[in-house]
Amino acid sequence: MAHYVLRRLALAAFALWGVATLVFLMSRLIPGDIAAVAAGRLATPEQVEQMRVTLGLDRPLVVQYADYLLGAVTGDFGVSAYTHRPIVEEVAEVLPSTVQLVLMGMFITVVVALPLGIWAALREGRGADAAIRILLVLKGGIPVFWLAIVLRWVFGSILGWFPITGENSIGGAPPDVTGFTILDSLLFGSFANLRDSVSHLFLPALALSAPFISTLARNVRSNMLTAMRSDYITFAVSKGVPPGRVVMRHGFRSAFGSTLTIFGLQFGWMISAAVLVETVFALQGIGSLMYKSIVNHDTFAVLGSVMVIGFVFVFTSLVVDLLHMLLDPRVRTAQLARA
Amino acid sequence: MTIDNAPFDRVSFVGVLSRRLFGRGGPVVDRLALVMVGILLVLAVVGPWLAPHDPYAVDPIASLEPPGAAYWLGTDDTGRDVLSRLLAGAPLTILSAVAVVVGSTIIGVFVASVATLAPRWLDDALMRCTEIFLSIPSLVLALGLTAVLRPSLTSIIIAMVMALWPATARITRNILRETMTSAYVEAAKIMGVSRLRLMLRHALPNSLDAIYVHASMELSGTIVMISGLAFLGVGAPPPSADWGSMIAQGQDFITTAWWISLFPGLAITVAALAFGLVGDAIRRINDPTSGRAQ
Repeated sequence: MAHYVLRRLALAAFALWGVATLVFLMSRLIPGDIAAVAAGRLATPEQVEQMRVTLGLDRPLVVQYADYLLGAVTGDFGVSAYTHRPIVEEVAEVLPSTVQLVLMGMFITVVVALPLGIWAALREGRGADAAIRILLVLKGGIPVFWLAIVLRWVFGSILGWFPITGENSIGGAPPDVTGFTILDSLLFGSFANLRDSVSHLFLPALALSAPFISTLARNVRSNMLTAMRSDYITFAVSKGVPPGRVVMRHGFRSAFGSTLTIFGLQFGWMISAAVLVETVFALQGIGSLMYKSIVNHDTFAVLGSVMVIGFVFVFTSLVVDLLHMLLDPRVRTAQLARA
Repeated sequence: MTIDNAPFDRVSFVGVLSRRLFGRGGPVVDRLALVMVGILLVLAVVGPWLAPHDPYAVDPIASLEPPGAAYWLGTDDTGRDVLSRLLAGAPLTILSAVAVVVGSTIIGVFVASVATLAPRWLDDALMRCTEIFLSIPSLVLALGLTAVLRPSLTSIIIAMVMALWPATARITRNILRETMTSAYVEAAKIMGVSRLRLMLRHALPNSLDAIYVHASMELSGTIVMISGLAFLGVGAPPPSADWGSMIAQGQDFITTAWWISLFPGLAITVAALAFGLVGDAIRRINDPTSGRAQ
């Protein structure tokens, strides 16, 4: 088992190096003078020259690359050409908002998709099955940013059930401790703040989760079907285990493992979708940061955000794989056998 | 050696597809989707000439007109006809998606072929390389690349090709690995056929169906992704009428003039659904394990 963990850690380290290298190569793709781009549009010639020295563009490419990697390890992604603040600070400020949005989206997905999938497996070929199939088809077509706009329009503007923009109403924000508005509300112990934060997050999270519900539900359904047809289920039923217990303890537990893996893969997808959804709802997350940076021609801030998202993605898949190994004994033995 | 790839009459792929989609007993949804794809492809070529109004003509008097007799799908805030803009935007959205898929498929298949022929270490290195690309979500990667290049539709296409080829390369590598170990390729190898020839004459032609299937499945996601990038404004600058930009231009008016954003979104949805369903139908036809019946 230690062997597997070490191998997986090495793989993650390699991926981190790869992401940093890829972003470095991307920054060298900039047409024209890189220093001028890094210094921003309003920079004077002296400032551009200074940036050339700061970036080390006057030195050999290998040295630049080594410097860059060292920077990436120590959390130095350069300075924003627009705000003149360290990019890492800007990203750290908004990252909690995105993570919170994605977690909320995942929560909605699980709450809807797990029961739907299990139900569809137990009543094969009935209503829940059809619902999953229709959702699956629609998921392939509806652009998530458009869905976000439509949800905001229908449930926010027309029906007025939810606020349409921002993280909190004026005066509704809890004191900023962690950057996660929901967590801050709980820490502050205010129900009004909690309600305000959740209601602001609900529509964006719903838009984010909608395409994913069908994928997860279908996966749960097929895993449950396989599990429920296996011998140990027949054994448990004939032994007289109550039906609910058979489904949850025997069937679902074995079905859950690969579901977890799919979840990890979808995390990356949700972060990309969050980039689009955040701009619709004016949430101050990493997506809005990227959007602002693109509008302001702040290329290095965009690349910094790309790198951070890559890092987060690598880290998440590492955690998911390790969790999978802990939860499912079959993975452990399979990995050992291969190793 | 087992004879798992016994020779069989190779039926024309297009023949099977059309017979299955238009013959009796084919699923109605698939047929509708195929018709829709046909219409969309025609519109993508001739759409701009069908526009009843000038898609870029600003007319302040006719601004924010609701859908009606004069403007079937209404007008936007500067008085441009939404239907005309949709038609003008069809090539921008659909043909770009086709270009992206063609580009990423060519690069992906090329890299996979090289990896198949190359010595083990190069094969490993190339596949590791694709893994690195895949550890950044493709939309984010494409967004970063378009920010690096100048904002234009061409940049979006280049960026998306660069973001999407690794997945195609990996899938093609797996397909080729399977084909290269199949019985008839083994037989050819024993007869002394060179590796290059094995690859070009035997393995690759037989993998093409699977590659087509992957490409057609990619198309629908690509349409949605291109629109997403254009929505964020890294695509063609205004007054571009690509569908993603149209949604972005209309989103501030949604409460008063819902038609500006709603119709381009519907257009993207219909296009992506149609291409996705046809792609899925092709996959089912090509996959003998899925069975003939729906």
